[in-house]
Amino acid sequence: MRKNKKQPLIEAAREIGLSPDVIIRFISFRWIIPIDYPLQILDEEDIARARLIWELQHEFGVNDESIPIILNLIDQLHTYKKELKKLSR
Amino acid sequence: MKDPYVVLGISKTATQDEIRKAYHNLAKKFHPDLNPGNKDAEIKFKDVSLAYERIGSEEERAKYDRGETPEQQQKQPDEQARERTFRRRRGPFYHETQDDGGRYSYSFAKDMGEDFFKSFFHTDDRSRYQNEKSSTDEYYQMSVDFKDAVLGAEREITFPNGKRLQVKIPPGIESGTKLRFKNQGGAGIGDLPPGDAYIEITVRPLARFNRVGNNIETEVAVSFIEALLGAEIKIPTIDGSVMLKIPSGVSTGSRLRVRGKGVAFGSSSKENGDQIVIIKVVLPKKIDPELEKTVREWGGKFSYNPREEP
Repeated sequence: MRKNKKQPLIEAAREIGLSPDVIIRFISFRWIIPIDYPLQILDEEDIARARLIWELQHEFGVNDESIPIILNLIDQLHTYKKELKKLSR
Repeated sequence: MKDPYVVLGISKTATQDEIRKAYHNLAKKFHPDLNPGNKDAEIKFKDVSLAYERIGSEEERAKYDRGETPEQQQKQPDEQARERTFRRRRGPFYHETQDDGGRYSYSFAKDMGEDFFKSFFHTDDRSRYQNEKSSTDEYYQMSVDFKDAVLGAEREITFPNGKRLQVKIPPGIESGTKLRFKNQGGAGIGDLPPGDAYIEITVRPLARFNRVGNNIETEVAVSFIEALLGAEIKIPTIDGSVMLKIPSGVSTGSRLRVRGKGVAFGSSSKENGDQIVIIKVVLPKKIDPELEKTVREWGGKFSYNPREEP
């Protein structure tokens, strides 16, 4: 299993080359819910999701209204994939 | 080495705008997070990204057209160039974080209800869910009034999913305290119990009331006549007004104690903290000439030095 690195919001933002304000905005929309919300600590999953959102917005031209729909569909996809994997075991 | 113009499907005379559009179209099509587990798509996405890196800006494109990129000069294989480009992208793609079961996928599953998958896949094989984690704790923040934090209160909160919960705020709670509500977080997958909900409290400040430990400090202005002669005045407390006896001879900074009007702890007010009233002697804005004359006469007879050490 992958080691899940956790780091404060500012360091996480720096790692993926985004402004902390961008990530704070994602959190305020509840597109990201940091693994430790009160302390604003993000794990690999949060960071990868933040980068995906940024890419959707800036490389694919997706607007704010469509982001939660896409994220929900992606989450659905992963959930189904995982359930199917369990059934095939 | 793959020709970036061919990879992006554009002509050598394409404008920068056409290159950008071609890149965006192909990146959308092959992004690994939109094609999870599809290795071909991942390789294509990397090829497209590498091609865009080579000719995405006018400067880089000019270098490429002149045959001056390191890959062209060193005849570096595509595989190496592709990986060099992606070493700069630190951390995994989002879909890679979901392979072992991510929190966000669980959030989706919980929205569908516990029995959704069982009914969908016609299975009730509980053992398959035993080793799954139920990391569905949810975190919220709630602001409470100073008075509610001191005396305790009961409030109803509504979670983003519409669920309502009666929250009992214990008396004496301080900012930063986290209240835990067992099994009130996101639903666990399958047969696992729901996660917990944590609510972090922030106490709103209240003008003129300052909490110090279990006591509450307030400043009360008195006239110099009240300070000199003593008086009984009405003062605000956290739960209404009370009469306070000011002894004669108080000065600015004198502290008077009102028992039981601080932070509440038990059923009896005897167990509570106290309110500390800090006196501030205030002179009239305009000094009456008669008053001034009287004080001058008095000062001549009964002068004292307030700067003398006691």
